[in-house]
Amino acid sequence: MALNLRQKQTECIIRMLNLNQTVINPVGGGVGTANEEVYKILIYDRFCQDILSPLIHVKDLRKHGVTLYFLVDKDRKPVHDVPAVYFVQPTQLNIQRIVSDTSRALYDSFHLNFSSSIPRPLLEDLASGAVNSDSIQRISKVHDQYLEFVTLEDNLFSLANKNCYVQLNDPSSGDKEIEEIIEKIVSGLFCVLATLAVVPIIRCPRGGPSEMVASLLDQRLRDHLLAKNNLFTEGGNFTSSFQRPILCIFDRNFELSVAIQHEFRYKPLVHDVLGMRLNRLNVKGEKGGMKSYELDHSDPFWMANGSLEFPEVAVEIEMQLNKYKKDVEEVNRRTGGNAGPEFNGSDLIGNTKFLMSAVNSLPELTERKQVIDKHTNIATALLGEIKERSLDSYAKMESEMMIRGGIDKNELLSMLRGKGDKMDKLRFAIMYLISTESLSPSEVEMVEVALRESEVDTSAFQYVKKIKSLNIALASANSANRSNIVDWAEKLYGQSISAVTAGVKNLLSSAHQVALTRTVDALMEGKPNPEIDSYLVFDPRAPKSTSGSNSSHLKGPFKEAIIFMIGGGNYVEHGSLQDLAHSQQPVKHVIYGTTEILTGGEFVEQLAVLGKKMGLGSSDIAPAIK
Amino acid sequence: MAKVRDRTEDFKDSVRRAALNLGYDESKTATIMASFILHKTRERSPFTKASMKTLESIGALEKFLMKHKKDYLDLRRTTEQERDSIEHEVTVFINSCREQIDVLKNSINHEQSSSKGWLGIRSDNLNADTIAHKHGVVLILSEKLHSVTSQFDQLRAIRFQDAINRVTPRRKLKSGIKNVTESSNSNNFQSRGNSEVREDNEVQAEPIRVQQQVLDDETRALQVELASMLDAVQETESKMVEMSALNHLMSTHVLQQAQQIEFLYEQAVEATKNVQLGNKELSQAIQRNSSSRTFLLLFLFKYKNCRRFGNGSIDIGTALTSPYLCLIH
Repeated sequence: MALNLRQKQTECIIRMLNLNQTVINPVGGGVGTANEEVYKILIYDRFCQDILSPLIHVKDLRKHGVTLYFLVDKDRKPVHDVPAVYFVQPTQLNIQRIVSDTSRALYDSFHLNFSSSIPRPLLEDLASGAVNSDSIQRISKVHDQYLEFVTLEDNLFSLANKNCYVQLNDPSSGDKEIEEIIEKIVSGLFCVLATLAVVPIIRCPRGGPSEMVASLLDQRLRDHLLAKNNLFTEGGNFTSSFQRPILCIFDRNFELSVAIQHEFRYKPLVHDVLGMRLNRLNVKGEKGGMKSYELDHSDPFWMANGSLEFPEVAVEIEMQLNKYKKDVEEVNRRTGGNAGPEFNGSDLIGNTKFLMSAVNSLPELTERKQVIDKHTNIATALLGEIKERSLDSYAKMESEMMIRGGIDKNELLSMLRGKGDKMDKLRFAIMYLISTESLSPSEVEMVEVALRESEVDTSAFQYVKKIKSLNIALASANSANRSNIVDWAEKLYGQSISAVTAGVKNLLSSAHQVALTRTVDALMEGKPNPEIDSYLVFDPRAPKSTSGSNSSHLKGPFKEAIIFMIGGGNYVEHGSLQDLAHSQQPVKHVIYGTTEILTGGEFVEQLAVLGKKMGLGSSDIAPAIK
Repeated sequence: MAKVRDRTEDFKDSVRRAALNLGYDESKTATIMASFILHKTRERSPFTKASMKTLESIGALEKFLMKHKKDYLDLRRTTEQERDSIEHEVTVFINSCREQIDVLKNSINHEQSSSKGWLGIRSDNLNADTIAHKHGVVLILSEKLHSVTSQFDQLRAIRFQDAINRVTPRRKLKSGIKNVTESSNSNNFQSRGNSEVREDNEVQAEPIRVQQQVLDDETRALQVELASMLDAVQETESKMVEMSALNHLMSTHVLQQAQQIEFLYEQAVEATKNVQLGNKELSQAIQRNSSSRTFLLLFLFKYKNCRRFGNGSIDIGTALTSPYLCLIH
């Protein structure tokens, strides 16, 4: 059972658009019997707009009978004879708007769908508002959709929780705020699991937000499974014999380097440099106008070549272009150029056949040309940026640093004084901090001076320096018991930073692999491994009393995994997890999710905010502009 | 597929509690709760009713097409005439659906224009959202019809392809036969030549054989003529098939471009109109400029003269006018 999150979410949304009646697919389209409620109006809020936009296009909406679509905030006029489908988050503001809409009788009937479970008090508010305005008869149905997450690809999702890392690592955050954030993350994860309709086995490292999220999620699932008509009753008997997937929850502090590093593969480059958002991209076209492109599963070139390094991508585009030119020439030759001296009757009929087949193949050819044009434009834009900021040398140097565990002083300084904008230099400096095993204070001084020369705001740099120094101080002070370090760090900052040591340890290995991938591999294998033995296990289906001894199946090799990163993730981790999944025999399936998809620059900005909150960093330099 | 949680029951509970809180008595609460179960049959506007009907007819068309698809495509199940009749029926059906859609579209425009007559005061039914919704409905209907007709076009394309394929091997075969007959004819001529030589030697001996020969020749000539006529007929037939195929091509694929070509044409026309307007404006501006120039000159002269006879500050007046005069020149 391959977990395809995007497909499942799309199905749920289509069902919602059909007013939550089971969609029977009659032969030849959905027009079998004229359903009373064929035409409808869709109303959503901004968060749900982000959910809908990667999944459905406007013309698909029309296929399901949606004639108009509005934001709930917009001023709308009454339209008679139509049911309205609302898809909003359950917040106070949205409820007020709905109540005002019903009292104004904007539409004939209201089908309310909330992206996650609407809490009791808000439901009562809605009820009392509707009764007050005497408009109960217009509200037909109220549903909880459990769709509060954004799916970008078949196996990539995000909860769109902004600034999660800052809030979790902020030393001034109180317990209440942290609990709120954990609550939001857990409800988002719950929605994902409800859409997939699986109850996984949860594993997480000890301590920190990941443990909090895992235990709360376990609790939530247990409570829910006790209910009679829960969302997870497996449909047929076939599904119950399949193995359950594993859900691994990690915190961003587990491996900071991946979020900051400069990468040179196509997908991460497009995301980092050109600012792709919700699979949409704005690029300067050939003739100077801004063009908007969509990069998702319907683009075969993107799907096939997203994980290649940039030079290889350029080669691929060349190849596709040549193939296309050859095909077009062939079509032209066969249909057009035969009006020569050999023109006779028999040629003509052959001509018509070729003409017919050529015309049939024209749409396909045009589509291919469009895809090639699109990627040529994107690659050209990328090339311009790369040359200007010499991103290739940054990427190379950073990966060398990570492998070697250090860098020559002169190389370091020459990079910092060379090309690249402020954010690039800051990221490079932070990578230097993370990758070097033993930092000499003089070198760090020089780096800071170089950064200040380039007018870079060093708060993020200071923050990472402080964290690292703290960790090393802890390590040297009490190196015997690792868990004690963790407890002490927790007490001090409210969360675990022991992972920085883990990160440093990882760098000593010769082949630099993303640490997350290695850990996930070990977890999925299920064999005893010193790295992961300390990880906690939660099984929501098992009764609380049983201990972990007879849970042999919990640790066996897993075929499917859901990996969740708290605090921010990116396409690099996603790509490396997919490589892992495809390189196994038999092929495994891995879904990667995170609270927020961040580019390197955005993550470093969050680090800078943290640095400023801790009072580090010089305040007389203008903040780093990307 | 994942289940969805229906909270309507919870909502009903909350409604009941809210009604009690507000102090509604039993009967009122009962009516409110009843409204959940009994849905008031809503009066549907004529537009909606018409659009539902059109939707039904498009659905019926699709079902018809599906039913006869197999018969249409399989060469053995139907004859050419039956296929033609199916095509004819479908075309008539499509036309009627299109007319219905046009009627709906016209009704929207008509409503829009007639409402404007009332001093621009629009009734509640004709706000922008409703009009957009109606346009959306018409768009959905026309898209559905479009998809059904494209399916039908595909079927027709397959039919033409089959027809051409059938004709081509016959042509090849026929051209093979033609060669054979040609070669046999040449053989005949050759043998005739030979036999003629021989005949000269035995001219009187076999007048019967000569007669036979002549008869044979005549038969062969007739054969050749028949064969060539058959050729011509088959060529015409294949040309007709080709023409219909090309016609089909033109009507489906090239006409798709027609809208765009029309649009481009209209844009070009507009562009020329704009350029003309622009030219007119420019010439007017030039005229105004020149007339204003003379105006300004006159005005300044007057001002200069007045100033001369006003205060004694002649210098300011001349100082003011001279730079202006310089500028204008």
